[in-house]
This record gives sequence, C-alpha cells and structure tokens, in this order.
Amino acid sequence: MVARLRAPGLLRGGWFFAMGIGFAYALTTLIRYVSHYHPFVHGDSVLRVGMVSGPMFFLVGLGAFDYWFYWASGRKTRPEDHSSHGARSWKDYFRVNTDHKVIGIQYTVHSFIYLLIGGLFAMLVRAELAQPGAKFVDANTYNGLFSVHASLLIFLFVIPVFAGLANFVLPLMIGAPDMAFPRLNALSFWLLPIAGLMMLASFFAPGGSFASGWTAYAPLSTSAPIGQDFFTIGVQFAGASSIATALNFLVTIITMRAPGMSFFRLPLLVWANFSTSLLVVIATPFIAASQFFVLLDRSLGFNFFEAGKGGDVLMYQHVFWFYSHPAVYIMMLPGFGIISEILAVKSRKPIFGYRMMAFSLLAIVALGFTVWAHHMFTAGVQTWIRVPMMITTSIIAVPTGIKIFSWLATLWRGVIHLDTPMLFALGFLTMFTLGGISGVMLAMVPFDLHVSKTYFIVAHIHYVLFGGSLFTIFAGVYYWFPKMTGRMFDERLGKIHFWTTFVGFNVTFGPMHLIGLQGMPRRVADYATQFATWNLIISLASFVIGLSTLVFVYNMVTSWRGGPRAAANPWRALTLEWQVSSPPPIFNFDALPTVVGGPYEYGVPGAVHGVFRGAEVKTSSAGSGVAIPAGE
Amino acid sequence: MEAAGLAPEIHSHDDHGDHHGPPAANRSSRVEPQLLGMLLFIISEIMIFGAFFTAYFFIRVVQGDPWPAPGTSIPVLVAGFNTCILLSSSATLHWAETSIKAGNRFGLKAGILSTLLLGITFLFVQINEYVHLGFAPKDSAQGTIFYGLTGLHGAHVFVGLTLLSMVTVRSFKGHFSPEEHRGVEVPGIYWHFVDVMWIVVYFAVYIL
Amino acid sequence: MEEQEHDTPHRPAQSRRALLPAFAIAAVATAGGIVLGLVIPWFPPQADSQAQSIDTLYYVLIVVTVPVFVLVETVVLYAVYKFRMRPGEELLDGPPIHGNTRLEIIWTAAPSAIIAALVVYAAVVLRHIEHKPRGEVQVQVYAQQFTWSFGYPPATPGGKTVVASDLYLVKDRPVRFRVHTSDVLHGFWIPAFRLQIDAVPGAAESFRATPTRLGTYDIVCTELCGLGHSVMRSTVHVVTPAAYSAFMSTRGAASTLPAAAGATQVAAMGKQVFTSTGGCGACHTLAAAGTTGTIGPSLDKYLKGKPEAFIRTSIVDPNAFVEKGYGANIMPASFSTSLSKDELNAVVKYVATVTAK
Ligand code: HEA
Ligand code: HEA
Ligand code: HEC
Ligand code: CUA
Ligand SMILES: [Cu+2]
Repeated sequence: MVARLRAPGLLRGGWFFAMGIGFAYALTTLIRYVSHYHPFVHGDSVLRVGMVSGPMFFLVGLGAFDYWFYWASGRKTRPEDHSSHGARSWKDYFRVNTDHKVIGIQYTVHSFIYLLIGGLFAMLVRAELAQPGAKFVDANTYNGLFSVHASLLIFLFVIPVFAGLANFVLPLMIGAPDMAFPRLNALSFWLLPIAGLMMLASFFAPGGSFASGWTAYAPLSTSAPIGQDFFTIGVQFAGASSIATALNFLVTIITMRAPGMSFFRLPLLVWANFSTSLLVVIATPFIAASQFFVLLDRSLGFNFFEAGKGGDVLMYQHVFWFYSHPAVYIMMLPGFGIISEILAVKSRKPIFGYRMMAFSLLAIVALGFTVWAHHMFTAGVQTWIRVPMMITTSIIAVPTGIKIFSWLATLWRGVIHLDTPMLFALGFLTMFTLGGISGVMLAMVPFDLHVSKTYFIVAHIHYVLFGGSLFTIFAGVYYWFPKMTGRMFDERLGKIHFWTTFVGFNVTFGPMHLIGLQGMPRRVADYATQFATWNLIISLASFVIGLSTLVFVYNMVTSWRGGPRAAANPWRALTLEWQVSSPPPIFNFDALPTVVGGPYEYGVPGAVHGVFRGAEVKTSSAGSGVAIPAGE
Repeated sequence: MEAAGLAPEIHSHDDHGDHHGPPAANRSSRVEPQLLGMLLFIISEIMIFGAFFTAYFFIRVVQGDPWPAPGTSIPVLVAGFNTCILLSSSATLHWAETSIKAGNRFGLKAGILSTLLLGITFLFVQINEYVHLGFAPKDSAQGTIFYGLTGLHGAHVFVGLTLLSMVTVRSFKGHFSPEEHRGVEVPGIYWHFVDVMWIVVYFAVYIL
Repeated sequence: MEEQEHDTPHRPAQSRRALLPAFAIAAVATAGGIVLGLVIPWFPPQADSQAQSIDTLYYVLIVVTVPVFVLVETVVLYAVYKFRMRPGEELLDGPPIHGNTRLEIIWTAAPSAIIAALVVYAAVVLRHIEHKPRGEVQVQVYAQQFTWSFGYPPATPGGKTVVASDLYLVKDRPVRFRVHTSDVLHGFWIPAFRLQIDAVPGAAESFRATPTRLGTYDIVCTELCGLGHSVMRSTVHVVTPAAYSAFMSTRGAASTLPAAAGATQVAAMGKQVFTSTGGCGACHTLAAAGTTGTIGPSLDKYLKGKPEAFIRTSIVDPNAFVEKGYGANIMPASFSTSLSKDELNAVVKYVATVTAK
C-alpha cells in the first residue's frame, strides 16, 4: 500500500493535490496573520492560491517532474530505460507517458470528452432559447452556460485536439522517433485535465460559474463572483499547455526531420502546425497576461481596469484580442493542414500549388497579428484605428482564398473517393467559405457597426469554428482512425454522421445570420417575441446535431473495440505515417526512412516519398537503435 | 525542457525485452534542440513582457496621467545601483561559462556562485525597495503598473535563480566538462535574457 | 510503398468542354443566389439616414460575395459529380498536375481587386455616416445595470439638463449620442438606426444619427453586462418637433420639491419617477402608472398590503428581499444614489398609495 502511495501515478497525485490545498491554506493564513488581516483564514484566498498550488502538487505527485527533479538535484541522469514510453494496457493512458502516440491519443480522447460536455451545454443553451422568456434556467446559469460552452470548446477542445492529432502523426510524418522533448510533451497533456476540471468545477463555486463570456471583458470579470477565477486561472493552465506543445512542435520540426526531408518536402500538415506553433508561441503570452491583470485586480486590488484610478478598460480588449484573434487561426490552420492531406489522397492528385499553400500559411500568420481591433470596432477605440484594421483584416481573404482555390484545383480531374473523411473535407470547403465570407462582411466597419454582438456574429463563429475547425477535426479523426487504433470505422455510420451533421448544422446556424441582422443580440437568455419562430427551429435543428454526434461517438467506440483490422496503408497514401504498421510500432521506425521526393506525388509514375533502408531490420528488435540513417 | 529531452545518454540502452531504444533521430539542423527550445521560450517571455508594456503604454500614455502618481516618487538611484548588481551578475555568469569551456572548474564554481549571490542580492534590494516605496498597487494605476512590471521581472529573476541554483548544485557535484556544458549554457541564456529585460524595465519605469 | 512502384493508370484526358456545363450551372446559381439575397427581408425598418447607406453596403456585399460562394460550391459539387470514383477505378490516379502559375496569379489578383474595391467603398460609407451634420444636438446616454436614461440639452439656453428614461428624438434633426456608464461595459444599439457603440467606464463614446422616420424603435444593450443583460432594453421615439416640446415640458420637471409640496405634487413626482426618471415601468407592471414590464414582479400583485418600509427597502436595497421566481441582482441597486431624496420619497409614497387598495 505504502509503495503504491509513493509510486508516481494518479494515486500519489491525489494525495499530493490534497497537500497542495493544505499548503495554500497554510500559506495564505500565515501571510494574513503576519500582515494583520482579518480574518486570518480567508476562503477566497485559499481557493485562489489552491487553484495554483493544488494542481502543481498534483503534477508532482503524478510524476510529471520526477525526471527533472532527479536531474536538478545533481545526480547523474539515469540511462533512459523507456519505462514511461508506450502503452501496453489501457492503464498506461492514465499515467505520465512520454510516447508521442500515447500522448496523441490521450489528447484526442480527452478533447472529445470536452466536445461532448461543451456540446451538452450548447444543448442546454438551445433549450433555454427555444422559447422567449426565462423558461428553463435563470439568467446567471444561462450566462454561465454559454461562457463555459465557449471556453471548453475553444481551450479544451479545438486547440488541444489539433495538438493531439498532430502529436500522433507529425513525428511519424517527418520521420522522427518521437517529439524533441517527450517529458515536456507529457506535461503539456496533463495540464489540460486540470484546466478542464477547473472550468467545470466553477459551477460549484458560490455565486455560480464564470459568466462573462469566453472573452471575460473587464470590468464585468473583475467584479464577478469567485467563479470567474476558475476561468482566469484555468486558462493559464491551458495556455501553458499550448505554449509547451508549440515549442515542442517547432523544435521537432526544425531539428528532427528525416534525412532528405527538406522544408519543401514536408507534408502540409507539418507546415500548418509549424505556422500554428509560431502563432501560439508569440500570441498566447498575451492571454496569459490579460488574465494575470484580471487576477491581480480581483485578488490584490490592482487597478489595471479601474477607470476611477487611472486604469484603462479598453486595454483589456486590446491585450485579449491580440491573442484571441491569432487564436482563431490557431484553431483553423491545423485544420487546413488536415484538409490538404485528405484532399490530395482522396482525389489521387498532387496538391495544387504546394509552395503557395505553404506560403499562404505563413502569410496568414503574419497578417493575423495585425488585425486584432476588428473585434473592437464598436468598443469605442480610437476612430482612426478602424480603417487600417479593416484593410488588414480583409486582406486575409487573399491567402485564404489561395488555399481554397488550390484545393478546388486539386479536386479537379481527380479520382474522388467520396468516403467519410472526404465528405467532411468537402463539407469544410463549402461551409468555411461561407463563414469566411461573413467574416469579410464583418470586417467592413459600417456593416459591423450594425451586427457586432448580434446573432450574426454567433453565426460567423459557428460557420468558421464548426463548419471550419470541427469539420476538419472530424475529417482528420476518420482519416487517421485506422492508423491510431489499428481498426477501420463503420463507413455507413460515418456517412449518416456526416449528412445529419451537415443538414443540422446549416439549419441551426444559417438562420442566425437573419435574426442577427433583424436585431437579436447575442448572449441573452430572453429575447423579443418576434424571433420566437426562428429560435424554435434553430433549437430543434441543434438537437439534430446533438444526436448526430452520438452516432459519431457510437461509431468510434464500437469500431475501436471491434472494428475490422486496418491495413498499414488503407488509403494508399504516400506520407510516411502510412508506411508503418497500424498502429505504428512502439518506436515508430526501426530505422529512419530517407525522403527522396514530395509527399503528394499521386499519379506521377514511380513516385516515391520516402524509402526505408533495410526493411528486413523491421522485425528484429536488437540493433535497430544504432542503425545509421543514410546521409550521416 | 531543461536539457533533459535529447541528452545523448538516452540512446545508450540495455537490450532486454522490448525496451530497445528508438533509432537515433536525424539532426536536420545545426541548432541544438535545447538551445532552440530555450530561444523560443524566450520569445514567449518577451511577449509576456510585451503585454505588460502594453498595459504600461495604455496607463501612462493613453490615459496620460502624470508619472509617477502625484505625491509619490520612485527611487531611481537605488534601482540604478541594483541595475549594476544585476549587470555584474551577467558578467560573472559569462566568466563561469568561459571557464568551463576552458576546463577551469574553479572558475565555473566561483562564477556560478557569485552569479547566484548577486541575483539574490538584487531580489533582496528589490523587495526592500517595495517595503519603503510608500505606495501600493491599489493606490493608483501608476502604482499598479509599477508593481506589475517590476514584479513580473522579479518573478523572472526568481525563476532564473532557481535554475541557477540547480546549476550550482551540479557544478559543485562535479558535473559539466569542456565537452558537456549545455546544462550551464541554456539556463545561462535565460539569465542573460532576464538581465536585458531589466534594462528595458528600468528605462521604462524609472528613467523615462 | 508497393503501389508506387508500378506505373499508375490514368483516366483518359477530359476535353475542355467539360467546363461548359459547370459555367452554366454557376451562372444560374449565382443569379438565383443574388436574387435570393436581395429579396430576403434582412433588416428592421430604416429609421435614420445612416441605415440607408449601411443597408446598401450590405446588398453590395451580397452581390459581390454570392458569386464567390457559388463558385466554390459549384466546383465542389461538379467535381464530385463528374470526377467521383466509379466502380473499377479503385486503383486509378488523377493526372499529376502540380500547379499552374497563370491560374494562381488570377486567383490571387481577383480577390485582391475585389477586396480593394470593397474596402474603399466601406471607408467612404464610414466617412459618410460619421460626417458631422449642421444643427446637431447632443444627447447624453447613461447606462447602468440594467437601465438606460438620457440627458437632453436644456429646453432654454442656460437651463438644466433634462434627464429622463425615455429617448425622444426629433425627426430629421441630427443627433450625436454621448454614451456613459456608471458600472460595467454596456452596448448602446438601435437596430433601426444600424448603429451601436459600447459604453466604457471612464470614457464617453459617441455616434451620430439623423432619424428619418417617425415611430418607436428598440434600444438594445449589446455588451454582456451581467444578470439583467437580456432585459436591458428601452425605446426610442422619433417624433415631430411639437411632440418633442410636449415631452420636454412634462419630463423636464425638477428633481426637488418645494418644502410645502402637497400630496398631489408628491404623487405626480412619484409617478414621474416611476414611469420616466427611475425607469421602474420598464420592469414592473403597475396599473396606476400604466406600465406593463414583466422583468420584475408585478407590483399590483405582490405589493398588496405590504408596508411602506418594505417598499423603501426593496428599492434602496433590492437584494434584501428577493421575490420568489425572480433573480437577485437584476433590479439596480443604485436608486438610493441615482434618485434625489425627494424623488425617492415620492416614488415610495406613490407606489405605496396606489398598491394599498
Ligand atoms: C476558426 C475561427 C475563425 C476564423 C478562421 C475566422 C476568420 C475570419 N474572421 Fe472571425 N471570428 C471568430 C472565429 C474565426 N474567424 C470568432 C470566434 C469570432 C467572435 C469572437 C467573439 O466575439 O466571441 C469572430 C469574430 C470576427 C469579427 C468581429 C465581429 C464583431 O465582434 O463585431 C470579425 C470582423 O472583422 C471577423 C472577421 C473574420 C475574417 C475577415 C476572417 C477571415 O480569416 C476569413 C477568410 C476566408 C474567406 C474570405 C473565405 C475563403 C476565401 C475566398 C473564397 C476568396 C475570395 C473571397 C472574397 C473576395 C471575399 N471575425
Ligand atoms: C468549436 C467551437 C464551438 C462549437 C463546436 C460550438 C457548438 C455549438 N454551439 Fe456554440 N459557441 C462557441 C463555440 C462553439 N460552439 C463560441 C466561441 C461562442 C461564443 C460564446 C460567448 O458569447 O462568449 C458560442 C456561443 C453559442 C451560442 C450563443 C449563446 C449566446 O450568445 O447567448 C449558441 C446559441 O445557440 C451556441 C450554440 C451551439 C450549438 C447548438 C452547438 C452544437 O454544434 C453542439 C453540438 C452538440 C454536441 C457536439 C454534443 C452532443 C452530445 C450530447 C447531446 C450528449 C453528450 C452527453 C454527455 C457528455 C453525457 N453557441
Ligand atoms: C432592470 C429591472 C428593474 C428595474 C429598472 C426596477 N426593478 Fe424593481 N424589481 C426587479 C426585480 C427582478 C425584482 C425582484 C427581485 C428583487 O426583489 O430584487 C424587483 C423587486 C422590486 C420590489 C419588491 C417587490 C416584491 O414583491 O418583493 C419593489 C417594491 C420594486 N422592485 C420597485 C421598483 C421601483 C420603485 C423601481 C424604480 C425606481 C424599480 N423597482 C426598478 C427589477 C427591476
Ligand atoms: Cu447592459 Cu448588457
Ligand atoms: Cu478576429
């Protein structure tokens, strides 16, 4: 028993967590005692400090830092025995694991749980809005529901699920045995459940959950009940996780490509994650800072946003959007990468205009930093800033257009395999275009003056995030499902999933454009009766999306458990991840492949992307570690 | 991230069971992973400071209130003295780094220890300054951002000191050699970054 | 790896004429889409001169972007129809086309041109709607959780600013709103005017409008401001100059009473506070005052037999007692400061009197 309590793992994490809370209690009480604050024991302070110390202690207990402590204490680093690498039973998914494939699956499954929870909150939101008047939940709960809905779906679903998919396939794609910093990778994952549980736990806080939207504008957030802190601090954990993963991706891509894998031979998914990681590394500190400001204002009486004392309320929005606009591309670019993979494979043609595809990603990254104030056209910013931001914002349509048109050209004259991943990819193409176009409309300042903060925005959000990001996520999950699990999914259920989602999605979010223009503001629990009919239709359709998601979940769970075994390369793809078994061997490759051509040379006679020297080494376990790849 | 990831040791493995190691990764760049990781991390750190400087800009320039807040003063000289302390700590750190590259273990130990002590002195002086300032963050937005920026920097000094103390422990235990000194170098870069950042903070908050 | 070793079979090359039907479909769909986009009743009534420019901008955007959308849609559908894999083609590959510089230049240049045109046009519209007209009046807009009130220029030069809870504007008289808030952010939106601006603590934001159509229109709060955000509504009345003067003469009443004021004077002021200055009627139904708000409890129903002290407490400190079925923190807690002493006394007296029976 004692041994189990002392061994790294969830159990030790649990009692360390309790110690962390105890630490917070002791620390705050001591400080308040020393500085003569009354009462010494202050619940809110304990809670705030505990929200940081509890999770940190938990991570220590879990064993996320064991190796580093070992190293830091100055002992000789023990030779790596790979005991924390790979999964042999389901239990290995519940501990600190350094295998990028295990982490990829941890990430992906964990994120999808939050899709279900966040989606469930959306269902409650729609239930409330089905009829005018407060019917179902009170105003406080309603505000909490959509705030948590958006926060979970953004910070715990879309951003991490892309990181998860890339975690699994990216090292394989570039011919690397793992990520550059496997332990940091494991830590990145374990920060997420902390962030997610924290945000969910806010519902139990006195005064209810955080309820100032996912944007948490000051001064509403600085004057909100304690539930707000669960967002403020939870976001820090999610943000730290993204920064760490992004660092890891960048270093991996730059330093660990297989011989011959030049930048212009990288699959576009790798390019997409490279660009995304740049965005994350540069932008995410801004949301961290914005929430530090809120936290300091709330807990220590700082005056960042206290207009009466010289603080600046709009500064919050500048800092927040300087992250959160790039964040919308963080939530889209990896999806672009997925689509490029799938469209090429499923139309059996090379990606049209590969180089422009890569450059347009970088262009979006660069432009993405210059447009944040388009969220503030009606916020009372200096009037001169609006036209420049309108220009930069609409220019983003150009690189994005290049991508859309290149994908269309890729389709043209291909041999189009219309299976589930492809259906979602095509659904993405059409729906994202609509969402992007409504974005360009929003960029036009005079028009935005009317529709900002209305349901037109809610429509835009969901056309780009659901029709854009989520469709690419579904496409990617179906596409790599055989690789990740070694099983095939049920194609018929997949098609049912697509069509119900596609129809339900359009009926849900299409009419929101109209009611927004006609005058329905967002973030309201109650609305004018003139919008009743549309809202009822929207709510009914949204339940269809909910049901369709259950079809997806059913398909994934049953196929994973009992689907037919997948071949190594069921899609006849060229990229490297498909050249190893499904699921891939524990160390990815026995010997690194050498890359000799582009990744999308479909239809080119005799084209090869990567060659594996000595395929016979594949089965032997000894000696593979020293196989020297060609070129060294 | 601290130099743990790809240490060459991890590829020497004992061959039993399926615990054979992965194939050695190809090095597709001349930059070392640890170094690159630290540089990227520093970019993130610069952006954190960037956000605080944005707050500073809005409070000081956009709001246009007097600086420092009326009735308060900022001890430029004490902080200037402190700046010298921090700058000299960069020099001693550099000494430690060049020493170990030349195989001079005494230089390493002396350099790293004095860096550590100088850093602690800096932090101590800073805290002492806080105590005697006579204004608090809750008094005014100017106070808020003064404590915000210097406090953020102080937190970085603290992190830097934590890293340096690990290096110190390892130096005294006989680690590092002319061939193998990444463990000094990478935390060292961080420390130099913290120093450079202080100069920017010092100029913005105390001098301007 | 095996598949790539042997030569990949291709489909026979398609003639260029394959494009023609696609073009035809696209043209028809575009026309249909544009017509649809123009006939859908997107907007609430146009009640100011700005609305006209903004609506036109929107219709231009529709005309420009529908073809883009239809183009993408058509290519996808047509490609799926025309190039989908047919039985027996499982191992076929498409032709290895890697790019086409001319096409790529076209689809970079064309959207750039469209964007450039749109941006210039939108900038012109923006200038136009924000242009300072002659004879403009200023109306102060005060937002607080969760009510609006409005400050009008004094009726006579040198007089006092008139504050009321209704917004009255004169048709064709340009107005500039200066928007203030005493607590968190709010958003001042008049959908019929197509304009909104946030109320920002510590700043006065503004926008201009010239009402052009008589009638009453909604005022909606667009910035999440707390529990009562969804009910933070009011009404703007666009009226004739005569009606405006009438309004000013009734609402312009002073906020203090002479010491010797009689019961009728007190009752008049109480009613005035209830329906106007205090904005109580927006949330409460009170038959005597002719208000029908439903956000708060109906005072006719719930206050029957309640003592005056209870009413006073309920106004000064609404959370002291929260009626079952209604949320706390919705009724503003600021009346003890925002109303003058006399006004507060008057409204308490008034409410107590009319609900006593
Ligand atoms: C995945 C996420 C994502 C993506 C990719 C985008 C993409 C874009 N967004 Fe969106 N946006 C959000 C998520 C996203 N957005 C969210 C969540 C909000 C609300 C936040 C909140 O307040 O809660 C928001 C809000 C938002 C606003 C603020 C509205 C307001 O609050 O008042 C604006 C205004 O300019 C805007 C614009 C744009 C533009 C111009 C793009 C462009 O990048 C789109 C470019 C793509 C295309 C244009 C389509 C393809 C191009 C062609 C086919 C070429 C030809 C096209 C033309 C010539 C038009 N978005
Ligand atoms: C990726 C992002 C994402 C996704 C996928 C969604 C998905 C959905 N969203 Fe959301 N939404 C946002 C991001 C997203 N949203 C953002 C950023 C906002 C702005 C918030 C703000 O203003 O701050 C927003 C706001 C928002 C609003 C506006 C609220 C308001 O302003 O008052 C509405 C209203 O209809 C809505 C509805 C929906 C619906 C019906 C879905 C559906 O697609 C959901 C589909 C349902 C599921 C996927 C779940 C299915 C599963 C079950 C039913 C069973 C599960 C069971 C168990 C777990 C036990 N969303
Ligand atoms: C934004 C909406 C709103 C406004 C404006 C408002 N109230 Fe209320 N009022 C409420 C709500 C909701 C309640 C019930 C919850 C509570 O008691 O706080 C309430 C409760 C009351 C009660 C107690 C009734 C009972 O049965 O407990 C009185 C009396 C009252 N209001 C009077 C007024 C007066 C007088 C004014 C104007 C000076 C006013 N209210 C303005 C929303 C409002
Ligand atoms: Cu006021 Cu919303
Ligand atoms: Cu944006």
